[in-house]
Amino acid sequence: MTALPLTQHWAVMRAVSVVTYKEWAAYRTHSLVSVFVGPVYFVVQYFIWSAVYGGTDTLHGIEHTQMIRYFGAVTLIGYLTMDFADWNLSMLVRTGRYLTFALRPLHHRFFALSQKVGHRALGFVFEFLPCLLIFVLLFGVDMRPASAGWLVVTVVLAFLMGFYLRYCLGLVSFWLVDSGGLRGVVTILSGLFSGALIPLVFFPHWLQVLQLFLPFQYTLYVPAMVFAGSYDVGATHLSIAQIVGCQAVAVGVMFLLSEVLHRAAARRFTDAGS
Amino acid sequence: MDTVAARRYLAAYRVCLRIAARQATTYRASFLLSSLIALVGNLAFPLVTVLIYGSGAGFPGWTADEVLLIQGVFTLSAGLSGLVLGAVVQVTIDRVRQGTLEVVLLKPVRPLPFIALTGVQPESAGVALGGAVLVACAASRSVQTISVGAALSFVGLFLAGLCVMAGVVLVMAATSFRWVGNSRLPEIADSVQMFGRYPMAIFPGALQGVVTFVVPVAMVGFVPASALLGRSVAGAWPAAATCVAFLAFGVWLYDRQIRHYQGVGG
Repeated sequence: MTALPLTQHWAVMRAVSVVTYKEWAAYRTHSLVSVFVGPVYFVVQYFIWSAVYGGTDTLHGIEHTQMIRYFGAVTLIGYLTMDFADWNLSMLVRTGRYLTFALRPLHHRFFALSQKVGHRALGFVFEFLPCLLIFVLLFGVDMRPASAGWLVVTVVLAFLMGFYLRYCLGLVSFWLVDSGGLRGVVTILSGLFSGALIPLVFFPHWLQVLQLFLPFQYTLYVPAMVFAGSYDVGATHLSIAQIVGCQAVAVGVMFLLSEVLHRAAARRFTDAGS
Repeated sequence: MDTVAARRYLAAYRVCLRIAARQATTYRASFLLSSLIALVGNLAFPLVTVLIYGSGAGFPGWTADEVLLIQGVFTLSAGLSGLVLGAVVQVTIDRVRQGTLEVVLLKPVRPLPFIALTGVQPESAGVALGGAVLVACAASRSVQTISVGAALSFVGLFLAGLCVMAGVVLVMAATSFRWVGNSRLPEIADSVQMFGRYPMAIFPGALQGVVTFVVPVAMVGFVPASALLGRSVAGAWPAAATCVAFLAFGVWLYDRQIRHYQGVGG
């Protein structure tokens, strides 16, 4: 197997992502479920936190309006970074269809990343934009980021972090007959520790410190904090540049881990032809 | 459905439960892990409640244990309804998408009970058990004495809440006959049910009316828990009647929408 020249990678990514976009666009009304679900969750969070802030101005240094903006940002960033590469890869390994990818002169991880680009481009059009308009125009939430430039960088890194994390999880399928249980555990941990349910500053101090070394916060909490303009966790205050730098390092580590796992996994793959 | 048919379905349900239990014991590790995941997934909201109260804040007029009681009742209800109807939405979605519903339609039974019976999800027992433990713990810390009247009210309103859970499942499953292959339908149900996990007082009056009488998800967690706490909820019993009507609507809608199924022989 020979690798494609770097100059062709862009063309491959564009082709795969466009095809993926068209494939999923056939089911675009499925994406529109988010236009109902996202605002409903947001409304519930709005009333929960409005009640909780009834007798106080700030909680863990976060004001009521900041909390509402936080949940708006978390919802919207989630639409841009959502990933199911683990499920996809697991399915390919289980059914033996991974063989067709093993024979191609293209790293499967790059193919899967290109698919995600197409899938999330669809999410941008049918989930992110409608919900952004609902939050801003209907609910009157100020969704202007503290720094648009840093927000773009951190969302791109969160996009990659989510992908490499899920891809590593999918690679476990080469060792386990059924990786569904492990994927379920990680999904729950990710839901809790990514900050999707509650900002991480509400967790006990030791658990906040632990998050600095786990990948979950880099998929959602960090971009939401960059959106807000300040980052605090575990009594540690970092500037936006510092936390985005940490996020970039974490993405690099996860990329290397995925490569190590992929090389080990490729040696284990067995198939009788598809 | 007459009494004889109901007895037959009950007997069939017992058989299906037994089969599901034996399957679960065959793949014990998978079953235990699935149960644990389902349980922990359902306990995420109580954890958020604990974190909110742990930070010194909370819902006005409600202690942490009282809110946990609401969420425990909700979890118990989700577990019990999952045991009976847990797979109805997914099985219906899959069979409609794959065009294999004929296999069910050809059988000399009503499709809905058959799909419900054969799709028993034993891992929901873990959720129900977790919910029961949460209810027991929260009630022991928040309720001084439970009168017979309060206990009976709780049981009646809890059963009404189960009707709502079942009705929501059936409405979602019925929708899949028109909105083919949409695996995200359960997300809609989950989002609406969020309103049943918290004290109603945090929502505006109009919204309280909607989630108590129109789509009565407040009856799943909040209203039964309030009865156990001895807090009166205005219109609770009329709302219970709405729950039964909501379930009947779900059954009617499922039976009505199944006519729109199209297949080419399974």
